[in-house]
Amino acid sequence: MLKFALSSFVICTLSFGQVLAQASKVDSSEMRTLRVDPSASRGAAASQVFDEIKFIPLETTKESLFGSISQLHITDDNYVIWDYDTKSILIFTKEGKYVAKINGSKIEKDPADKENQDFYGFTLKKENNQQLIQVSAGKYFFYFDLNGKLARKAKSGDGEVYGGNRKFSDGTEVDRSYMDKIDKDSNYYDLGLVKDKKKVAAYFPFSMDRYKGDQFYSGGESITDYGVKDELFFVNFYEYNIYKITPSKLSLTYRIIFPANNSLPSDFKENPIYKGKRREYFDKFPKAYYAIGSAYQFGNNLYFKVSNWTWGANERKAFIYNLKNGMVTSISDIEPDSLSQFLPVTDAGIHYDFANKGFHLFDGQYFYTSYSSLALFNFKEQNEGKDRKYDPALTAYFKTQNKKSNPVIIQLKPKKN
Amino acid sequence: MLKFTFSMIAVLLSTAFITTYAQQSKPATHPGTAKGIVRDTAQNYVLKSATVSIYKAADSTLLSYQVTNNYGEFNFRNLPVDQLLKLEISHVGYMTGRKNFIIPSAKNNTIDLQTIIVDRSDVTLDDVVISVPPISVNGDTLEFNAAAFKLDTNATVEDMLRAIPNVTLWGDGQITVNGAEVKSLKVNGKSFFGGDAKIALQNISKNALQKVQVYNTAKNESNPLDSTLEMNLKLKKGKDIGFFGKIGIGYGTNNRFESDASINMFTPKMELALVGAINNINKTPNNINSLMSNSTFKGVGTNVEYQPDFRASGLNRPSAAGASLTYNFIENPTYQKKSTLKANYFLQDRNSDNISETRTTTTVNSTDQIFEKSDNTNLSSNTNQRFDSNYEFSKRGQNLTLSQSININQGDSEEQTNRIAGNLENALTSTNNSLNTSNFKNLNFNLRGDYRYSPYIITHNMRFRGFSATYALSGYNNESQRLNLTEFRSFTNAGANRDFNRKYDTKNDGINQELNLTLPGLKSLIFGDKRLAGINFDLTNKLIVKSDKNDNRVQDLDTLTNTYRVNTYLNNQVQTDVIEETPGLRIEKSFYKSLSNRFYQNLTLRFHPKQILVAQNNESDRSFQDIKRSYKRFAPDGGVSYSDNQYGEYSRYYDLNYYTTIQMPGIQQLAPLTDSTNLYYLQRGNINLREEVNQEMSFSFSHYDQASKNSLNYNFRISAGLIKDNIVDSLLINDQNRRTVFLVNADGHKYLNFNGGIRKAYKFKSSEIQLSLSGNVNANKNPGYTNNVFTFSSNLNTNSNANINYTYKSYLAVVLGQSYSTYQSKQEAFNTEYSGKNLGTSLSTSYNITKQFTLNSNVSFNKSASSGAKDINFTIWNASAVYRFLKGNNAEIKFSALDLLRQNNSAINYGNSNSFTIGTQNVLTQYFMTTISYYPRQFGKKAATPR
Repeated sequence: MLKFALSSFVICTLSFGQVLAQASKVDSSEMRTLRVDPSASRGAAASQVFDEIKFIPLETTKESLFGSISQLHITDDNYVIWDYDTKSILIFTKEGKYVAKINGSKIEKDPADKENQDFYGFTLKKENNQQLIQVSAGKYFFYFDLNGKLARKAKSGDGEVYGGNRKFSDGTEVDRSYMDKIDKDSNYYDLGLVKDKKKVAAYFPFSMDRYKGDQFYSGGESITDYGVKDELFFVNFYEYNIYKITPSKLSLTYRIIFPANNSLPSDFKENPIYKGKRREYFDKFPKAYYAIGSAYQFGNNLYFKVSNWTWGANERKAFIYNLKNGMVTSISDIEPDSLSQFLPVTDAGIHYDFANKGFHLFDGQYFYTSYSSLALFNFKEQNEGKDRKYDPALTAYFKTQNKKSNPVIIQLKPKKN
Repeated sequence: MLKFTFSMIAVLLSTAFITTYAQQSKPATHPGTAKGIVRDTAQNYVLKSATVSIYKAADSTLLSYQVTNNYGEFNFRNLPVDQLLKLEISHVGYMTGRKNFIIPSAKNNTIDLQTIIVDRSDVTLDDVVISVPPISVNGDTLEFNAAAFKLDTNATVEDMLRAIPNVTLWGDGQITVNGAEVKSLKVNGKSFFGGDAKIALQNISKNALQKVQVYNTAKNESNPLDSTLEMNLKLKKGKDIGFFGKIGIGYGTNNRFESDASINMFTPKMELALVGAINNINKTPNNINSLMSNSTFKGVGTNVEYQPDFRASGLNRPSAAGASLTYNFIENPTYQKKSTLKANYFLQDRNSDNISETRTTTTVNSTDQIFEKSDNTNLSSNTNQRFDSNYEFSKRGQNLTLSQSININQGDSEEQTNRIAGNLENALTSTNNSLNTSNFKNLNFNLRGDYRYSPYIITHNMRFRGFSATYALSGYNNESQRLNLTEFRSFTNAGANRDFNRKYDTKNDGINQELNLTLPGLKSLIFGDKRLAGINFDLTNKLIVKSDKNDNRVQDLDTLTNTYRVNTYLNNQVQTDVIEETPGLRIEKSFYKSLSNRFYQNLTLRFHPKQILVAQNNESDRSFQDIKRSYKRFAPDGGVSYSDNQYGEYSRYYDLNYYTTIQMPGIQQLAPLTDSTNLYYLQRGNINLREEVNQEMSFSFSHYDQASKNSLNYNFRISAGLIKDNIVDSLLINDQNRRTVFLVNADGHKYLNFNGGIRKAYKFKSSEIQLSLSGNVNANKNPGYTNNVFTFSSNLNTNSNANINYTYKSYLAVVLGQSYSTYQSKQEAFNTEYSGKNLGTSLSTSYNITKQFTLNSNVSFNKSASSGAKDINFTIWNASAVYRFLKGNNAEIKFSALDLLRQNNSAINYGNSNSFTIGTQNVLTQYFMTTISYYPRQFGKKAATPR
């Protein structure tokens, strides 16, 4: 847990400038206040929450062995995974069969460039109807096809951009750390909307001063795509608001209120008495949520997770809030049943994968999560003597694999109600 | 005797076999199985890690307990069938769930309790909990709740720990939880009376305890695996104030007596201990802690008791008294915030009578040997006082420690030695009789300050990342007066006869200052956040400034005038000043390799080049001792560490190190004044001596099992070194056994040391077996000269120990120990060899006949054999009967019989490079003693007496 907290401990070291407040106004006309008491959250059987649950063991060979899934993307036929441990991209079929690997250490190095050629993650790009994996290493962008073969390489900056900002269908881009240049002074914003290189709107202005001697702990990705066209969710530091980004504006959609012992003081973000002393505050109040994250909405259900300083099997940190009836379901208490082959749907509360990353992604239809073979074999051992039947894929997996095999992807189709 | 040993082993093994057999047969008597699932139906959860306990309904004895798994399930085996059992479920925030049931033998001895529903409690205060589970998991802390263990009212915390399946208390005091070693023990988050676990565990009443907490304390946040297990005893509210101790007095045959007292008081902020002891049975307390740890209450379990030291030479009458105070300015100190003062005073007085008779055989050259018979009587008394204190302060990354100590040691002694030297044909060659009387007063003091700063939060752009400094100042002032009377007679050359009557008055004083500075993270200081291939640099510097003054006033009796005259040769004053400066640069690089949930490996390479610069200046009344010397040497250290953690399997640590140290010759080695009164040993110097350079390589390995039960752990360390320019003796022995020793440099000193250990514990339901094996081997090859012949002396010493510890419930404790040690010495040039071995077998048993009455027996069989002498065998058997009485078992009467077989003669048997010595010395022999002790103890304030 500590490791996770430290890894998400963001400290920026940019120079600082002046702020001229010319921020756009957040639309809060449709804001809904949600009261969430985690201690009153309920459990549910897996089949009450999901319509389909599929376990996809990823093939383990000497070549395909990797640590854990740091980034997951899906194409029509493949899972594309980036693994921090081996610094490589692995491509598997939808059935989990190993296809190819893009080995970070084997990427062609520029002899003139002594800088490290390491890359951290990838993006998917479609060019001429061909799905390509784009990697940024050194001064170059490398494009690989889905068989791991290098398709082309290009010098960065020559009209080529890495991944780029999230783009809406009308071409409006979402800039996560927007800088507005006015003469010599620059204004910084946590979020900007830009179309054709022109500012549409900019929100949450800040001065670079704020990074000086202060600590920013986040709960993971601040922008999530929940599968609805031209809509994204956004969360900001040290507040419990979920914003919706659309091509024209940012609106405050949900304001979550937690019980007092789980809440930060309302002026935590602005009051200078907390500046530089946030870690001490969390040490002192370990139950207070310092961030919310991984926000997704599907039908009437709002999925999100919270982060605080505590750790333990009984800590509930990921929830499903039903917008129709106000019921809160704890994701770590989703009980295995026949739909899940009596195996847990996430490793929340037991191992670290779900705690660290939440769901890897939601494609509008399916959630994807993963856990280690160490976890899966432990769950299986606890099922021993109970006459459990597993599907052919898992049966073969349990027969041929062991605790040190590759992680397993779990594909979950949530119910809409 | 060997037969006896073997029969004892047989008895022990058969006991173990019976228990094991009983274990295996258990399913036949308790074949019942009960399973179920725990659920909160209001919120529709299964309860993970809830505690499920099963009791016999008739008398509420705890039969077994479990923590529910990830599915909220429990599954018990080996439960009794056809009788009423009671099940209790507890979980934080829930009311206790209860259910009574019977496992029917008719239905396959199995019962499925299915879903058991528990309800939330609206009040979640800890105090309201009516029934607590034996074990619970609270975040990352494992907790054992005292209230759930039904033990005797006089039980101590130790008795409770023995009742917990996951905890092992080892014979040597180590505690392991699930196989992992507990590195420190605290009481209410603070170290308790010096931190000796035994003092807390064997004194604190189980009834004063709320719970035992076990957790990992990560010392180094950048490396999460560098963590240590800590145990905290959380006392019940109001029990954090109290006292405990022991007052005992005993008297026995031959006027043997013993008396001791230890009173310890504690409050949330303060601890005070007062101790005292006096005896004439060789129980020598050397510090406050050893007195405290031998005065513990020890509850109701079995313990193999503390024995007087029958192997100690001579007869000693020690007495001691002391006080120790700890004051915490911050009531609940943490790693980040601490302010603690500790102070100790200890006074020790000791009178000893040592009488010994030895015979030493020495090889002079390849054909000749000489022997020496020596009678020695030494009567001495000395008084030692020590006062020390320590203050520790921590706040937000800053840590300051100040400590101080003063020692005053004074005493006198009278030693008479008669020596006869002869050759192999037993013809006498010379005699030497001497009488030495002396008195001394030594004073020394130490002052030390440590300051360390490391920023609370480290960021990328931070340049200054900490600093540490240590300053130590020490000084001494020693004064002694000595009178020496010596009479030497030669049977081969009357002209060599000598008589001396010499008085010495010696004063030594000196002062030593040492300053150590370390500037870590040089990289970030100079280069900011540049990576520089991940290499870390620390600047180190050590400066020592030392000054010693030695003043000798020597007078000889002029037999004509019968007055003492100044000995102009030995009368002398020398001052030695040394400045030692060692700058260094520590270079470190780490490599990590990990695969999530599979393994974590870390390789660290260290290189620490240092330059040692020394200037030594000697100024003396004698011009030949006015020596100025300087030394310069490149002395690098280096090492490789590797750790391999395979998740769920094991963790292993490998460490390879290289050191260089140098040893400068002192003035007494370069140019000593030779005192001719010691006719058998004349020390000569050598002005041409060079410094010794020792290069050592060491390797250590340890393996920690991560299996939760019956884990096997082992470790070993091996070190080898080579000394260049070793300062060795060049010995000249004449036919009258008079030795003259010159010092010379010689190459080729090599040594190799090995030590290792294996331990394994088997814990059964009501008994436990612990096995531990340890051994060490020491081999060396020493160069030297004997009568101008260069020779290597090759020595090999080994020592191995095996221990089996067996405990059955709280009735019986048996410890069987076997030790075997050997020595061997070979002189290549003379083709001679000495060897010997010592064998010890001990069997200690403690049997509780009732809760109040205990019998103890301790038998040790010793066998000592050496080449050229008859074997020495003797057995020491001590036994005692102990009766505890009064309501809280506070009073104790003990009858002990020591050395029942009257065999203690304490043999002397040792060898060195070219000689071996055998003999006997006076020791403690048979006595019987009756001891009465009272253990005052109270935890928490006494309830106010109603009026």
